Amino acid sequence: MLPFACAGPPASGAVDQTGATVPPGPVRRVVPLAPDVTELAFALGAGDLVVAVPTAADFPPEVQRLPRVAPADLEAIVALRPDLVLATTAGSDPRAVARLHELGVRVFTVDVTSFDRLAAACREVGRILGRRAQGDRLAASVEARCARAGAAAASLPQRGALYVVWWEPLIVAAPGTFHDDLLRRAALGNLAPGGAGRYPRVDLELLLDPRLQVIVAADEPDLRAGFARTEAAPAGARIARGEVRVIWLPADPASRPGPRLPLALEALVAARERMERQGTGHRAQGAEGER
Amino acid sequence: MKRAADVTLVLVLLLASAAALLAGGPAATPADALAALAGGGTQEARMVVLGLRLPRLLLGIGVGAALALAGAALQSLLGNPLADPFLLGISGGGAAAATAAFALLPAAALGLVPAAAMAGAAGATALVWWMARGPLGSSSTRMILAGVAVNAAASAAILTILSVAPSPRLPGALAVTMGSLASANGAAVAWLAPYLFVPAFVLLLHGRDLGLLATGEESAAALGVEVGTVRRRVFLAAAALSGGAVAFAGVIGFVGLVTPHLCRMVWGQSTRRLLPRAALAGAALMVLGDLVARRAVAPAELPVGVVTALLGVPFFVVLLRRTS
Repeated sequence: MLPFACAGPPASGAVDQTGATVPPGPVRRVVPLAPDVTELAFALGAGDLVVAVPTAADFPPEVQRLPRVAPADLEAIVALRPDLVLATTAGSDPRAVARLHELGVRVFTVDVTSFDRLAAACREVGRILGRRAQGDRLAASVEARCARAGAAAASLPQRGALYVVWWEPLIVAAPGTFHDDLLRRAALGNLAPGGAGRYPRVDLELLLDPRLQVIVAADEPDLRAGFARTEAAPAGARIARGEVRVIWLPADPASRPGPRLPLALEALVAARERMERQGTGHRAQGAEGER
Repeated sequence: MKRAADVTLVLVLLLASAAALLAGGPAATPADALAALAGGGTQEARMVVLGLRLPRLLLGIGVGAALALAGAALQSLLGNPLADPFLLGISGGGAAAATAAFALLPAAALGLVPAAAMAGAAGATALVWWMARGPLGSSSTRMILAGVAVNAAASAAILTILSVAPSPRLPGALAVTMGSLASANGAAVAWLAPYLFVPAFVLLLHGRDLGLLATGEESAAALGVEVGTVRRRVFLAAAALSGGAVAFAGVIGFVGLVTPHLCRMVWGQSTRRLLPRAALAGAALMVLGDLVARRAVAPAELPVGVVTALLGVPFFVVLLRRTS
């Protein structure tokens, strides 16, 4: 990887995905505040600009040798003298972002609510990091993988679905989220209500709605344990009978709106293809990358 | 007049219960639910009505009655109109323990959260009781002050836990602080019913004593009330009811405080008769609140504590303005 001095950071400003203006200036010290934007910076080939990573960052492996910073620790962030902070609407505290703006720290916030927005984020962050070509390539790759997955999903029958982010209480992804786009691109119609926030708590009866045929969730221990209890309860009757299939996606790619999100889509489409081939009668369907 | 009001209260509870069983989405429409209740209908509708809505209704009745009963008893016992399980830190202690359990327990052990909540409520009760003890016994004022302190500590603990809890665990922990009947199931109801019955029975048994205590401890003692014993039993019974409620429904702060006042405004000050009426009114308010929480923006759900407050406060304000 080239040292940052050769990267030619741009001096132009930008408008981030929340509509906030990011003043022009060189970019040599970058602090991402969440795992998804950390992955984005590294995927754009700008890992050499990153001077610290958020405590929750665990990918790519290079982050292990970088200092850690708590995303809410404004003093530590400012002490790192970043000339760009990368934030996300999927997890960054907006009050911390606002305070950084007030302190004169340049912050670019990504707001990935769909794969199109992810591709746009790749281009825009690539541009502000001085990695315009890498950004364009990454965006094109995201678009191409989505297109391939979409083409494969086009032959699948439409089914009613939910993306479950928590079982007890039941919390699902609503229309307008990247999880909703994930379902839609895999020929799944989201049954979650709109107008009640991005991730509303919903009535358990929704699990017994006859329109529901597929549930998608991230494969991590808390969700597996909650699922086991829900499946054994009356609300899980249709799941237990195999009328509702559960697809477990690789946890981090499915939970972070970052550059690995296409992996979740490909895994979902592949799992759906297997599911349709097998027909009815099985209980839970694992996806690629499942533990 | 009072008999008619009693009948009205029972009718409101019955109608609210019927609506809670019948109202729902595509999984069981009102017609499906009616058929299921009549012993027919689809297997799906029977599962929804008998497996989901009925336990939720029964839990709502139990929790609403328990909170209102505890509030009525504590207000009479301590001679303070603001006394309720929340003010005395009992709900807060339960919620703090439940939130900590959500944040710390391994995934496979999250089913122990209700037990943790109950232990937290018991711990808070013991702490309040211990703090309130002075050289001359525990006065009402000391008990209220101790409760306020324990409640403040519990709130601080909850906020600390929420700010450091791993983010995937936050939804469950937040649900405890906002109150919900969504976790209702047959096992919860079967476990909670006898647990609530004993302290409720103790409170109803001491209805007359509480009425006399409300006129003053000395006059109550002169009339044969064993003040210390009654105080201890009533406080422990109210704490047990509150702990049971917070264990399965989280913190629902309004029902215990305002329902007894609503009953006093409508039916007068008789403490003996206040207790069963408060239990009925609390159950009705909770069932109606949960119905609105479940259906207002269906299939999304609102926190039931917010809805009970929204339903009860306007009614309370009207009554407050009309009564002297």
